Amino acid sequence: MGSPLDNTEIINILIEEIRETVPELEGQPISASDSMVDLGVNSIERSEVILAAMERLDLKIPMVQMHGPKNIQELADLLLVKSAG
Amino acid sequence: MSGLAGIQAINVFGGMACLDVRELCVHRGLDTSRFENLLMQEKSVALPYEDPVTFAVNAAKPIVDQLGEQERSRIEMVITCTESGLDFGKSLSTHVHKLLGLQPNCRLFEIKQACYSGAAGLQMAVNFILSQTSPGALTLVITTDISRFALADANAVQEWAYSEPSSGAGAVAMLVSDMPEILQLDAGAYGNYAFEVMDTCRPGPDTEAGDADLSLMAYLDCCAGAFKDYSDRVQGADFKSTFSQLCFHTPFGGMVKGAHRQLMRKFHKAKPEEIQEDFEQRLSPSLTFGQRVGNTAGGSVFVALAGTLDAGEINEPIRIGLFSYGSGCCSEFFSGVATSKSQSLLKEMGIAEKLDKRYRLSIEEYETLLSGKSVVRFGTKDAELDHQIIPSAWPVSGNGDLLVLDNLVNYQRNYKWI
Repeated sequence: MGSPLDNTEIINILIEEIRETVPELEGQPISASDSMVDLGVNSIERSEVILAAMERLDLKIPMVQMHGPKNIQELADLLLVKSAG
Repeated sequence: MSGLAGIQAINVFGGMACLDVRELCVHRGLDTSRFENLLMQEKSVALPYEDPVTFAVNAAKPIVDQLGEQERSRIEMVITCTESGLDFGKSLSTHVHKLLGLQPNCRLFEIKQACYSGAAGLQMAVNFILSQTSPGALTLVITTDISRFALADANAVQEWAYSEPSSGAGAVAMLVSDMPEILQLDAGAYGNYAFEVMDTCRPGPDTEAGDADLSLMAYLDCCAGAFKDYSDRVQGADFKSTFSQLCFHTPFGGMVKGAHRQLMRKFHKAKPEEIQEDFEQRLSPSLTFGQRVGNTAGGSVFVALAGTLDAGEINEPIRIGLFSYGSGCCSEFFSGVATSKSQSLLKEMGIAEKLDKRYRLSIEEYETLLSGKSVVRFGTKDAELDHQIIPSAWPVSGNGDLLVLDNLVNYQRNYKWI
C-alpha cells in the first residue's frame, strides 16, 4: 500500500466489499454502525468480505485474528490496528 | 514389501431416518431466500435405538462380509474415530470388534480430535501398513458420529441453533491395507496446520457450543496452511493442476465453496467465473452424499471421497486431494490415487440406494425425537429401547443385516440384528 489508510477509508472498503459480495443489498443504506449479521450477510459472506478487505490492505495474518468485532466500525478499527503492525 | 498403502474398501452408512433441511429451516423461521447457496438437502437423524456403535457396525459389516475367513482373520487393528463416544474409558471399537466377530489378536482403540478424527485414524492405519511390522495385516478404520445435542435445556437448544440444519449423522468404514483398490495414498505427501482455538466444542455429553464465524475463520486458515505445508513437502504441487478431484471436510457445501474460493484466489488469483467452473468440476461430485446426510464430523471428508468416486466419470487413474479439519483445531491436506476400479467397487456398496431407503421424518416426528425423552443419555445404567417411538421408521421386515440398540443392563449395551 502507498500512504497509510485511515479509518474512514477502511470503512469505505468494507462497505464496497459487502456490496460486491451481497449484490442483493443494492439500494439499502449501509453505515459504520451496522453489523454484517443484521444486514443479512451470512457467515461465509462475512469471511469473504474480511478476506477481500485484507487483500486490498495487503494484510497477511491468520483470519482468526480478525474475530470479535461487532460492527463495521469495530472491524475497520481492528483492520487499522493490524495494518499498522 | 509392496510400499503401497491406502483404502482397500470403503462404505458409508447414513442411518435409518432423515429430515428435509429446507423444511427444517422454514420451521425454524430462518431466512431461506438464499438457501440454495448453502448446498444442503437432507440430513440423517439418529433414531433413539441407533447409537455410534450401530452406525459403525452397519457401515463396516458389508465390507467384512465380503472378506474370506483367512482375510478376516488378518484384521489386526480396529480404530474408531469419533466425538460421540459412549464412555470415558471403554472405546467403541470393543463393541464393534465383538459385533463383527473379529479375532482376538487385534488392537482396539479410539481417536478423538473433532472432525479431524477420521483423517488421524486413516493416517495411523496407513503408517502401520507402510511400516510392515505385520506384513499382510488389515486395519479397520471407522468414523462414527451422531449429533444429538439439544437435550439438556433451553439454553443448549439455543446454543445449538446455528449448526442444527447442518448437523447430521453417519459412519464411514474403511479397510486399510497394502492393496489400496479404492485410494492409494501418496506416502509422505501430506501437510498439517494446527493451533489451539475454541471455535466449536462438546463441553458436555448433550451439548455443543460454538461460534460460526470463528470456526469458519479457523477452517480457512487451516485450509491455506495445510496446503502450504503439503506443497512444501511435495515438489511441484499445485492446487489447480495437481488434483483432478478434491474432497474437503464438509460441514455443509457452502462452506467448502467458500474455502475453495479462498484458495483459488490466494494461490492463483482466479476470477469468479473460473472459480465457479473449477468448483463444479472438481468439488461438486464430492457433495453427492454429504448433502444427503449432513455433517458427519469425523467421516465427512470420506463421505466426500465416496461421493467423488460415485458421481465422477473415472476412466483413468486420477489424483484426489483431501482436506480434513477438526475444530480445536487440527487439519491435514493429503492425497491419493483412484482408478476406474475404485469407482466400480464403491458402487457395489449401493450407498445411494440405502440412503433412499431411509425413513423421511416429518417435522413433528423430528421434534418428538429432539425432545429427548426416549434417548439413552450418556452414563445411563439400565434402559429398554422403544422401537416403536416412530412406528413407521421401524422396518416391517428386515434381512437380519441391520444392527439396532435393544437395551442396557448394568451399563452393558445389548444390540440386535433386524
